[in-house]
Amino acid sequence: MKSEVLYPGAFPMVRVDLTAGEHIKAESGAMVAASPTIDIESKMEGGFLGALSRKFLTGEKFFFQTLRASRGPGEVLLAPTVPGEIVVLELDGVNEYMVQKDGFLAGADAVKIESQMQSLSRGLLGGEGFFILKISGKGTLILNSFGAIHKIELKPDQEYIVDNSHLVAWSATTSYNIERAASGWVASFTSGEGFVCRFRGPGVVYIQSRNPGGFGNWIRQFIPVSE
Amino acid sequence: MTGSPNALCFGDACPASGAPCHVQVEANGLTISLKAGDGAQHAEAVPFSDIAVSAGGLDHDQLVVKWAGAHGARTLYLKDPEVIRAFRAAAPGHLNQPFEQAAEQVRQVRHRRRVAWGLTGGALIALVLGLWFGSDILVDVAVDRIPVEWEQKLGESAYRDFLAQQQIVKEGPAVAAVGEITQRLATEIPDNPYKFDVTVVRSDVVNAFALPGGYIVVFTGLMKKAESGEEVAGVLSHELNHVLQRHGLERMVKSLGLLAVVSILVGDQQGLIGLMKQVGVELLSLKFGRAQETEADLTGLRLLNWAKIDPAGMIAFFERLSEKDDGRVEWLSTHPMSAGRAERLKTELAGLPKKSPEPFTFQWKAVQESLGAVPKAS
Ligand SMILES: [Zn+2]
Repeated sequence: MKSEVLYPGAFPMVRVDLTAGEHIKAESGAMVAASPTIDIESKMEGGFLGALSRKFLTGEKFFFQTLRASRGPGEVLLAPTVPGEIVVLELDGVNEYMVQKDGFLAGADAVKIESQMQSLSRGLLGGEGFFILKISGKGTLILNSFGAIHKIELKPDQEYIVDNSHLVAWSATTSYNIERAASGWVASFTSGEGFVCRFRGPGVVYIQSRNPGGFGNWIRQFIPVSE
Repeated sequence: MTGSPNALCFGDACPASGAPCHVQVEANGLTISLKAGDGAQHAEAVPFSDIAVSAGGLDHDQLVVKWAGAHGARTLYLKDPEVIRAFRAAAPGHLNQPFEQAAEQVRQVRHRRRVAWGLTGGALIALVLGLWFGSDILVDVAVDRIPVEWEQKLGESAYRDFLAQQQIVKEGPAVAAVGEITQRLATEIPDNPYKFDVTVVRSDVVNAFALPGGYIVVFTGLMKKAESGEEVAGVLSHELNHVLQRHGLERMVKSLGLLAVVSILVGDQQGLIGLMKQVGVELLSLKFGRAQETEADLTGLRLLNWAKIDPAGMIAFFERLSEKDDGRVEWLSTHPMSAGRAERLKTELAGLPKKSPEPFTFQWKAVQESLGAVPKAS
């Protein structure tokens, strides 16, 4: 499997070259075009229960698609739904990444995807929901973001504070705490906003330059309200 | 290559996401081989004596190995159970304790995860059962699980927030009187886990409240309205019993719902606090239920009796509050008055063992005068 990001920037696409017999997993709906040698199978990653839990718990699609070069070598073009950058990571069997549910675009077949339950406070306050994807294994992992992807590199014990709605993926060697940005929770009732993640290295944290929720709020003001 | 990578190495010259490396456990140390930037293989032997271990990573389930080597400070993240087992078996005595601590952390993470999954399922079943039987079993179970320390943190935070905006009476006869009353009551409570903290606040509203954890506020308005120390003692005894029966927590958990129950059972204090914030539950305006009022009344009356404080004061005060409600009796808005409240207390009192009351050391009139009150001759 070889991959290349085409048109880097806001509206990229990724081309994946597959040798005969090779296959990849992709988010369903990610495929834009493919050679006629490629077959699409909808497969339930992690069995029925795994797929079911992913569907209900992460809101992720029920199926990942398997794209297989069953009739000879070929290429596939994949693109995310939202405007934003694509980043390609190589997993070496020991690296593990936690990925928020919308961040996964595609992965080599030997890349393992699990839904993982977060601690309640992380789930509740982190904004990524109670379940996130834990991605391990070996091979290419392709992530997408909303806006540009920025990589933060943390040395051992180095800390960094990130607004949780901008998180895309982070190494499993990091740890983090959810913190309140404001104080005085008893008297002052505000919306669920004001939570940040304090990450501690070593490892890398990928963040997106735009916040989907914030964008949604911004766009809502232009939508006429029907009576 | 001495084997496939089984660990990540961090440090200068390693990429931020960690350099995959191979760790081999030897008789007196670890041999770490990793590929350098030029593609050549480098092996570093680190004696056990140079190594410190701990647990780390997102779920505290990775073994973190630190040492200062020839290439500066290095950190390894190990997850492979085989390697960890071999390491542990070969490691000398000085690493035993940190290993034990790391293992304990991993066990806790695994345990918590199992408990969380179990409880999610359990809570769903319990919810269905709870709805079916229309009972508060879940709430009771959850409240029982809340440690007193949480309760204190919760209450203290609300208490400090509240007091920061109030005019506090710091000393004088009123503070001494309230302190004496609380002391007399508190010493009669067997196995009392709470340290009651009472503050007198200068305000004309007729009110007093107790926060979870034993933080109590009495307003001067209530002290002016009371005609004796025994009447104030009646209110305080009632308030202390709301704390002892954990009524505030019950209301809180009830209004927060199932998620609160789960977060308490899983032991997630941060989650609970976030939930309160999201739902906007304010400890200060929690209104008690009728059953809780009756419970606090009856246990409050018994406590007065034990403390040899004349319970007639409580009954008289409640009667007066309900008769002449001129809209300033805020206490009634959080402690709803029901018909026959005083009657029920009288019946209860008749059944209690007779004790001869011991008076307080203060003169109530003097206490009131110190507040600038003109005791009404009503
Ligand atoms: Zn009450």
